[in-house]
Amino acid sequence: MRQEMRLLLAERSLWLVSALFLLLIGYALYNGVHQTTLRDRAQAAITTDDARTRADQLSQLGRIMAGREVPSPFQNPADPARMGGGFGAHHALMPSAPLAPVALGQTDLFPGQFKVTYQSKIHFIHANDIENPWHLLSGHFDLAFVIVYLLPLLIFALSYNLLSVERESGTLKLLLSQPLALRTLVLGKVAVRAGVLLGLAVLVPLGVLLLARPESAGAGTSTLWWSLLVGAYALFWFALVVAVNAFGRSSASNAMLLVISWVVLVLIAPVLLNLGVTAASPAPSRTELATRTRMVTIEAMNRYSKLLSADYRHIGKPEVLLPKDGKIEMSGRALASYSIQKQIDEEIQPDLDRFDAQHARQQQLVARYSLLSPAAVAYEGMTALAGTGARRYAHFHDLMDGHHQAWKKFFFPRIDGGIAITEADFPRIPRFVWTEEDARLIDRQAFPALLKLVMPSLLLLGIAAWRLRSYPVV
Amino acid sequence: MLRAIGLTKTFGAQTALDRLDLDIRPGEIYCLLGANGAGKTTTINLFLNFIAPSAGEVQIDGIDVTRDPVATKQHVAYIPEQVMLYGVLSGLENLDYFSSLALGKRLPRERLLQLMDEVSLDAGAAHKRVSAYSKGMRQKIWIAVALAKQAKAYLLDEPTSGLDPQAASEFSSLLKRASEGGVAVLTTTHDLFHAKQTATRIGIMKKGRLVESLDSAQIGQTDLQALYLQHMRD
Repeated sequence: MRQEMRLLLAERSLWLVSALFLLLIGYALYNGVHQTTLRDRAQAAITTDDARTRADQLSQLGRIMAGREVPSPFQNPADPARMGGGFGAHHALMPSAPLAPVALGQTDLFPGQFKVTYQSKIHFIHANDIENPWHLLSGHFDLAFVIVYLLPLLIFALSYNLLSVERESGTLKLLLSQPLALRTLVLGKVAVRAGVLLGLAVLVPLGVLLLARPESAGAGTSTLWWSLLVGAYALFWFALVVAVNAFGRSSASNAMLLVISWVVLVLIAPVLLNLGVTAASPAPSRTELATRTRMVTIEAMNRYSKLLSADYRHIGKPEVLLPKDGKIEMSGRALASYSIQKQIDEEIQPDLDRFDAQHARQQQLVARYSLLSPAAVAYEGMTALAGTGARRYAHFHDLMDGHHQAWKKFFFPRIDGGIAITEADFPRIPRFVWTEEDARLIDRQAFPALLKLVMPSLLLLGIAAWRLRSYPVV
Repeated sequence: MLRAIGLTKTFGAQTALDRLDLDIRPGEIYCLLGANGAGKTTTINLFLNFIAPSAGEVQIDGIDVTRDPVATKQHVAYIPEQVMLYGVLSGLENLDYFSSLALGKRLPRERLLQLMDEVSLDAGAAHKRVSAYSKGMRQKIWIAVALAKQAKAYLLDEPTSGLDPQAASEFSSLLKRASEGGVAVLTTTHDLFHAKQTATRIGIMKKGRLVESLDSAQIGQTDLQALYLQHMRD
């Protein structure tokens, strides 16, 4: 292997491929760390802002109760309809996982924060982050993209002619006249190339992550799985290269076959998988959901139209807004808004449940048939380990749902009963608490992904071993 | 040392080698003569296990080549007509590369330079890239690999083809020295003069069959030529 390394070092291809790969990894990591840092900073600012707002509201309530401040109808911390709505809303946040920079995943489609109110979640789950349209169009340039899409091409560049070039240049006969089995020769060549590429693909990112995000040092299990996944993905493409070479065709034929395989497995198969899943289990239309929401909203607004247009006397008489004996009079508009939202929430929830269930079914189908594309397996696996995949988002949605229910449970009885929010209530107002998903789930998802890559690799290596037995040396 | 017993190779309906029996002892140089397609290169390829025999057996130092090819290759050095080395490496680096494959360990630099000297390649040539080498120089590197390996048997396929007379003569001398050291040599050639000058025994092949096997010392150059042409005409 040392000799093979010397030979590779003497050729330009290794230097060129390594330099290009390093450049791509460097840019992808910069991009990943930059995007994740921006996200983390935004979430830190939201958390600070939420805490300051709550403290201000508590202080304001103290001043109102002490008679030092007159309440405003729109910003009255004693009013449960205002505090449960936009005025008192707090954010539910999904923090970045330690490995987030290596796979930005679906962060361009799924927001990591929701402003939870008593309204139906239909109103806040689609309030996406403002995204660069180019990102939405092209996806993020992250390490997962470099590995899933570009690493196979770099593997091809270094090894498409692994054996064929030796045969074409006449060195194969000289090599095999030495006490060296063909399989050993192939193994040595692959090991050297894999060592170089995997060294760059695994060690460089780990080093950069440890420097840029020291907290990633604590994510040992995820990092190990991630390294294994990258290794298994590379193994698949090396196995394909060896299998193609083992058929003894020319270097040009090998290159063509490998590029066709890349197009089919990386570009076409995921699209076909998506089309197949959509055809087998079509998701309810978002347009229909939006139309249904509008219809329900109109119905609810008609139902509470009188209350909605009730005389707004509180503006002229702010003393009415002061709590008396623990009770408070809420404005007709605020009550109407609450009632409308409650009706929307109740009526739209079955549609949302249906939507979620269908989405989950699609995810199951994708997971089951992702075997068709190692690229899909690797990408799903990497985003899952980086905490930017569908599973962690689903976990976030579950937590957010629980928080939403707790929020409504806290405010609904107070609004229905006209019970004022007191200073003593403030610590009891539900807060969103993020709990990381069960670490065993990571193992449970990563292990099958690894198997889905290793099994076809072994099959390809088996074919290669069978073909190598009758490899045309002369 | 080199033994073929009823060795046969067919490609489809065509018989490339037909029941060849050979036994080359240490110190012998056996030269196979024959026209193109006579089965000379097929014989060499079978000894190297590059192709599998259809029938019969090939042995090197008593080991069946098909059963344990890696073990047999520890004892054999192969020199083809065209020695194609790695052009991006120097002569010394090529010698280092192939000798480490042959021996399973790297030789010290002094030993490599000594081997280069033994095949008449000076230090200047040793550090030049092989892409700038002549055919004869590349062949010398390969002989240096054989010397490093201390092979018990040499398999040579048209080794002097395309070499200038001086290079061919140097090559013959190297071969004779190896033979005197107890190496068994099987070589193929079209060159009757080279065969007569170098070989201890000469075999004439025609259409896959060994039609004549002679002691080189017992036949003159002219008689050998007449005999060869007669077999080619028949």
